[in-house]
Amino acid sequence: MPGTVPEQVASPLDTAADQMLAERAADGDLRAFEVLVRRYGPLMRVQATRVLGSNDETDDVVQESFITAWQQLGTLDDPSAVKSWLMRIVSRKSIDRVRARREHANIDDTDAPAPESRAPHALAETLSQTEALSRVLAGLPEDQRRCWTLREIAEYSYGDIAAELDLPLSTVRGLLARARKTLLREMEEWR
Amino acid sequence: MTELTPADRRFAAFDLEDTERERTDLNGHTIEQLSEYLDRGQMPADPSIDDSPECEIALRSLGRLRLAQQSLLERDLERESLRDDSWVASILSNITLEAHAGREIPLTHPAPTARLVVTEGAVRGILRETGDRMQNVVVGRCVLVGDVGVSGMPITILVDVTVFPGENIPLLADDLRQAMYSALGKHTELVVAAIDITVSDLQAVPDASARAQEN
Repeated sequence: MPGTVPEQVASPLDTAADQMLAERAADGDLRAFEVLVRRYGPLMRVQATRVLGSNDETDDVVQESFITAWQQLGTLDDPSAVKSWLMRIVSRKSIDRVRARREHANIDDTDAPAPESRAPHALAETLSQTEALSRVLAGLPEDQRRCWTLREIAEYSYGDIAAELDLPLSTVRGLLARARKTLLREMEEWR
Repeated sequence: MTELTPADRRFAAFDLEDTERERTDLNGHTIEQLSEYLDRGQMPADPSIDDSPECEIALRSLGRLRLAQQSLLERDLERESLRDDSWVASILSNITLEAHAGREIPLTHPAPTARLVVTEGAVRGILRETGDRMQNVVVGRCVLVGDVGVSGMPITILVDVTVFPGENIPLLADDLRQAMYSALGKHTELVVAAIDITVSDLQAVPDASARAQEN
């Protein structure tokens, strides 16, 4: 039946360590790969959605990421690090999408700060902290949000963020500091 | 009284433009440094931070931000996990097994002009399935060492396995080795000099609570 997958039978693979799954998948085991897809797909979707700024292209980006992962699993030096490897693939593909989108639209102002009206001040009292944070994050300038997401969700180091975004380390540091302060300041408003 | 209230001071430290104020307000530190201090579990202890009431307030704000981030991530993950399964099926249906076929291993055929092979990937699949049919053992990476392209050339097979706790490992390895010899004999013409089994890990028994280790 289209759109459905047979009911999962409990299998030792479901609880197998990442290393075992990555090694089996690298050997061509689709079942082990499926467990990885289920285990980390949701986190990769969250990451893609946050970097992209919306979920319009999340399906495509995550699917492409897993296809790339399947083809390149044999090149993964440390199979126990498959989670961060997958997060890197999906982050890179998401960033590429944003870049392509910008070139296509031929606009340079996508990094402009979000309009003040998107800030959550007025909504703060009726929103949970979680929802409020979600809105502040969405309202961050794109370059800040991208750095923040790479750091917080994909657990990149500062140096890795700089390399991935092709920015000087000092710029990355500055963007993260601004993002952090904005989030902290907005949090004071929610109290 | 014109003295700043603690709330006003917090805002000063979070000022985007004024890093001088930030250092003055935070006993010479920056928000970034405090954030890293929090990342390190506030170890080793730094008295110039720990003894500053202003730093304490900022650390508390950073801690709250962290908690809010965690609950946002959990909420988003839960939302993604509740989606129907079609995205998994879609990914799997776009994958080609050829990517991991590996080398070709010849099989003899009565007709001299016919060429018959089994792929290395298929052989690894046979080895995995043999393990999966047994209880309390999971077969991981399988490596065929030697020139599999030459008929009759002896090869060695390296197999990584994990077993569930409480198993008699030498006995289990013997059973697995015998089962693998017999499966290979049935499906291939490989001359296998040895199957080296390495128990690389003990695996937790699958149960409902094991879902907790997923992240």
